[in-house]
Amino acid sequence: MSDVSKPAGFYALKSLTPGAAQLHRLSALLTLVLLILGFALASPAFLSVNNSLTVLLQTSVIGLLGIGMTMVIITGGIDLSVGSVLALSGVITGMSVKAGLPVIPAMTLGVIAGGLCGAFNGFVITKLRIPPFVATLGMMLIARGIALQLTGAAPISQLGEAFGTLGNGALFRVVEMRDNGFPRVVFPGIPYPAILLLIVAIGAAYLLRRRQIGRHIYATGSNEEAARLSGVRVDTTKLYAYVMSGALAGLAGNVLMSRLVTAQPSEGVMYELDAIAAAVIGGASLSGGVGGVSGTMIGAFIIGILRNGLNMAGVSAFIQQIVIGFVVIGAVWIDQIRNRP
Amino acid sequence: MTEHPLVEMIDIEKHFGGVRAVEHVSLDLWPGEVVGVLGHNGAGKSCLMRILSGAMIPNGGEIRVGGKTVEFTEPNDARAVGIETIYQTLALADHLDAPKNLFLGRELKTRFGNLDDARMHEEAREVLARLNPNFKNLRDPVSSLSGGQRQVIAIARAIYFDTKILIMDEPTAALGPSETAMVADLIRQLRAEGIGIFLVSHDMHDVFDLCDRIVVMNKGKVVGAHAIEEVSKDDVLSLIVKGELPADWSARNLEAAL
Repeated sequence: MSDVSKPAGFYALKSLTPGAAQLHRLSALLTLVLLILGFALASPAFLSVNNSLTVLLQTSVIGLLGIGMTMVIITGGIDLSVGSVLALSGVITGMSVKAGLPVIPAMTLGVIAGGLCGAFNGFVITKLRIPPFVATLGMMLIARGIALQLTGAAPISQLGEAFGTLGNGALFRVVEMRDNGFPRVVFPGIPYPAILLLIVAIGAAYLLRRRQIGRHIYATGSNEEAARLSGVRVDTTKLYAYVMSGALAGLAGNVLMSRLVTAQPSEGVMYELDAIAAAVIGGASLSGGVGGVSGTMIGAFIIGILRNGLNMAGVSAFIQQIVIGFVVIGAVWIDQIRNRP
Repeated sequence: MTEHPLVEMIDIEKHFGGVRAVEHVSLDLWPGEVVGVLGHNGAGKSCLMRILSGAMIPNGGEIRVGGKTVEFTEPNDARAVGIETIYQTLALADHLDAPKNLFLGRELKTRFGNLDDARMHEEAREVLARLNPNFKNLRDPVSSLSGGQRQVIAIARAIYFDTKILIMDEPTAALGPSETAMVADLIRQLRAEGIGIFLVSHDMHDVFDLCDRIVVMNKGKVVGAHAIEEVSKDDVLSLIVKGELPADWSARNLEAAL
């Protein structure tokens, strides 16, 4: 946190004017367009309707995690537990369905479990005064451990068709029966996960820009002591951000498990890095006070398209890891440059 | 004049472990009065002011506002009874613009509970223009503003709301001469309106120029409380540094009184 009375902090922050933030988002958007162009040239199938929908599906999970992560990062924190919380939530939904609960209440239960993990993070950070990095690293192990313990490390399958609707269904899907008895997909429709992402993104943007809690999230990350002295309930604000991050991780878990129609306790490893990368590429600053949903959406699409495009181009999963690793470092490096005088 | 002081601090104590930051301090403030709170760093004056602004909870003692006992657990409690503070660090959120800072923690809302940024912007423009007609950068994050402009925002925030008691912690330390004069004029104007002001300052010129009374702290205790006419700059310096008045003070003062 920069001391407002020190000129050093003053000059360091001067580069973070709205102009600079917009420039950053613009350059991210440009990167996105270049990626799409590049992959389209490398592989003709990349721009096909079906592949575009796959990208949309893949991105929706990163996007949901990234929105929650953005809120946490704006408060000046970090949430390393989202990948594990995603798995735990999916497992809890899966087990609830197995126990006979209808799909919607079961999914609600999963999202609530995610929110509770977030609340625990928030409690440890604000009341026990443990740095977010350590607190959420602990939750990363705790949530993963619970998910594995509950399932005996085995995936829960045969969850029924209704469980798969959220992840595999689509709005405005047009299918016609051909003469030979096979269905032909005229228009594959808009996948539910993409619609869900859009709704969550609009909701989160509204919270951050038009509601008091959003203003307080920015103020807390910008200067925590100043926010406290101004009457902002800093602890409540942080707790809110971590609960949102946990609940959105739960939602992302439900989308992912529903797509697989299987509750996988080992799913979502390292997803937190994709989410952090999406937020930072989109202009969120790890030192707090800066960030936004629209930027994170661009970031999520960059990550999603990068993964998908590399797949389509036949690049091995190992090389993909290397590339994404460099992208994460590069994004944080750019953040550092922005914060330098 | 009301019959009660604006605020009374009675037998206030604050200690951190074995360190006694404030020991049995009592202090009052009347409407339209400027009281200088002096002392070198670590004398306990900032601590005392933080207790009064609700940013720090005392270990003992009582605070009365308008004759009624109050208890502050957070800054909002003190603001609710009309105590506003201008911190030396200004307590501004660097990434937010002036209107957002001015209303931080007390945002104006529309009927639906949304932030009413248009109204906040308009109100902020008015109050800032009153303090500094040249203030135009309402949309810039405050990190990009000059020290004087940042000070104006902090002052505007403290006087916009229904203020009765104002605590100013080194309000002129970061300012140039013309801005210092502006702050001095403002203090006189607020005093004329019946607002009570605690002025924490190192600047002897400001203190003698503006204060009606001074309270000097040393090692957590009040070592001197005097009307400004009773003391000279040397007397005050002696109180600050040694914790006592010069040996010849009472004789001198008696002479002056006669």
